[in-house]
Amino acid sequence: MVDIIGKRYWFFGLSILVILAGVVGYFVHGGFNLDIQFEGGSIISLQMEDGNFDTAKAEEEVSKAINKKVTAQKSETAASEGKEKIHMLVLNVAEKKQSLSSEELSKVVDTVNKNFTIKKDTQPEIRNVSPFIGEELLRSALWSVFIVSILIILYIWFRFRTMSGGPSAGVFGVVGLIHDALVMISVYAIFNIPVNESFIAAILTILGYSMNDTIVIYDRIRENSRLSRKTPIAELANASIIQTLRRTINTTVTVLISVITVYAFAAYYNIESVKVFTLPLIVGMVSGCYSSIFIATPLWVMWKQREAKKPTVSKA
Amino acid sequence: MKGKDLVKFFAVVAVIAIMTYLAFAPNGTEIPGIGTIPSAYDIRQAADLKGGIDALLAPKDKDGKAYEPTNDELNQAKSIIEHRLDAKGVLDRVVAVDYSKKRLTVQIPLKKGTTIEDPGSTIEDLGKMALLTFREIDETKAAAGELVAVSGDPILEGKNVKKAHYQQDPQDGSHDVAIELDDEGTKKFAEATSRLINKRIGIFMDDMLLSAPNVRVAITDGKCVIEGQDTVEEAVRLAQDIQAGAMPFKLDAESTSSISPILGSNALSVGITSGIVAFILVCLFMLLFYRLPGTLACIALLGHTVMQLLAISWLNITMSLPGIAGIILSIGMGVDANVIIFERVKEEIASGKTLRSAIDVGFKRAFTAVLDGNSTTLISAAVLLYFGTGPIKSFAYTLIVGVILSFLTAVTASRIMLQSVAGLNIAKHKWLYGVKGVKEQNG
Repeated sequence: MVDIIGKRYWFFGLSILVILAGVVGYFVHGGFNLDIQFEGGSIISLQMEDGNFDTAKAEEEVSKAINKKVTAQKSETAASEGKEKIHMLVLNVAEKKQSLSSEELSKVVDTVNKNFTIKKDTQPEIRNVSPFIGEELLRSALWSVFIVSILIILYIWFRFRTMSGGPSAGVFGVVGLIHDALVMISVYAIFNIPVNESFIAAILTILGYSMNDTIVIYDRIRENSRLSRKTPIAELANASIIQTLRRTINTTVTVLISVITVYAFAAYYNIESVKVFTLPLIVGMVSGCYSSIFIATPLWVMWKQREAKKPTVSKA
Repeated sequence: MKGKDLVKFFAVVAVIAIMTYLAFAPNGTEIPGIGTIPSAYDIRQAADLKGGIDALLAPKDKDGKAYEPTNDELNQAKSIIEHRLDAKGVLDRVVAVDYSKKRLTVQIPLKKGTTIEDPGSTIEDLGKMALLTFREIDETKAAAGELVAVSGDPILEGKNVKKAHYQQDPQDGSHDVAIELDDEGTKKFAEATSRLINKRIGIFMDDMLLSAPNVRVAITDGKCVIEGQDTVEEAVRLAQDIQAGAMPFKLDAESTSSISPILGSNALSVGITSGIVAFILVCLFMLLFYRLPGTLACIALLGHTVMQLLAISWLNITMSLPGIAGIILSIGMGVDANVIIFERVKEEIASGKTLRSAIDVGFKRAFTAVLDGNSTTLISAAVLLYFGTGPIKSFAYTLIVGVILSFLTAVTASRIMLQSVAGLNIAKHKWLYGVKGVKEQNG
């Protein structure tokens, strides 16, 4: 039988490596890349008649009109119907924490209209967020992560209270969850992906979902410990992990199949909001499966072993 | 297969078939005596799927500084925005007040083909300070059935109104609005009402006529009553609007997002396609790994997915792009319970149990793990529902519905189908359950 508990330090090491890379990424990029949803700012996308427009000119004209720094980009998207491509001019108020007033928004659209051909019967796409509201949103997002963690600890503690060491099982289950959140955050820091509310939603989803695998393993340990009380905890846990390995992996695989499908479609059709939502889910799912097997359970075993060594405990 | 099992099995399949039909009936299904059951086509779509403008409006005073409105003032502001949207013919909109954060959210849908070329100015128009005026009605045009004001200065402006409130006439019980004017207003109104006896005075918000009462007597004390509104609601609304004429703030957009209907419908069809592909792939996986029970799991998954669509439609939950992602995620999570249970059943078969008892024990023993796993996901989704905004709320809703339904279908539909099929002679081959050898599983 494969000895997962015995090789635990290798697995801990791998996780620490990923998280350290995240820390390095954080400092290299000078912090997280906060989306305008959290930081405030403006992005205006206009659907153009064709791909023949000069972004440099657009930058210049729009900056003049609103007296703020603007960057312009071209983007091409495949349409789901027909072979025509959708050409977009994406204008970004270059300095973050600057949002536009309704008046300024109108000016931007007017200016582009004057200088280029906006496709007929299309609406501009606008995302405009004031820095103030962004901060508020960020705060409530962080709160929700905190509250979910507490609720899950309480739930696991309640459900596993009959298992010897149930409360500690709850705590280490959540250590696994924190690990998953850290890995997701690290991946974002490493690749400098913009953090927005979808990312927080993804983290919360993973916090809830990733617990599933851990519970399957804990549940098996609970059952096995009833069957054979004399087996050492490390052996018991290891056997439980192996016995449930297939379902731990398969449950994750089915979810990954769905989420990766969505991501692939969103990537092909360039649907940004879905991409930024599903990517962290994919990372979190993989990490959640990994942490259930290689982090949460081995850590809990170590804790139980330490407890057993304490002289005050009369019988192990 | 015994007769009883056969009935059970086909009952489950029939229920799922009916649900599938209901979910995909293009115009909903009418059931006599009950009403119409809405289908997936009736699901309300958020701005990111059908296009539209979403704005979060915050009250600001004249100089653009933050203004702390009372709840009444927020309600007045809401009423004004609704009037303005009525005037534009935008009826399918949502205007909501967040009392704790002192803000208003406005959602304006855009249908394909209609154009609001400039969302910036649209929002700006909505948030302007309301201009309430009392004006003389042009009687020559009124004779032709058109109620418009004569040009020139208004008789009164919103700032002249000290108070406006609803009251019921103690004698005839009619629904009235009582208005109190300030000193300047009293003077102006006295002059106008003595001049316009038996003529009408129009009360306008911006350019829209709210009410055009007849002047019966000259009003010199600055207190008047507009009589004879049809309902309490109408009178309360009118009072609110007149009171709002004195609203001392405007509404500035703190966040605006606008999505074009073309890109929205593009995203919708991409979402639907990816959902179908994901469904097929998950089913293939289940078939390959779990064979006979896998097939049943796919039927159950279909049941779960269509029930989710029906529930979303029936509960009138607004669907957004993250919401679609939530449905597809639920497809993946929906078979989780089955995977856990089937693995357990396999183990029980391998340990030498008969097929029937393996299935019974498998479902029973896997139950706690399935329940706990779903509960934690539910906790997360509930918190997300509480804290999330717009599109994310829609994701949280679909996830909650999905988790509950997947749990229910796994412990009912899958179980009934598997138990009844297990009675079948052909179904007794262990290969069908993906059990390789009896011994190697006994670790």
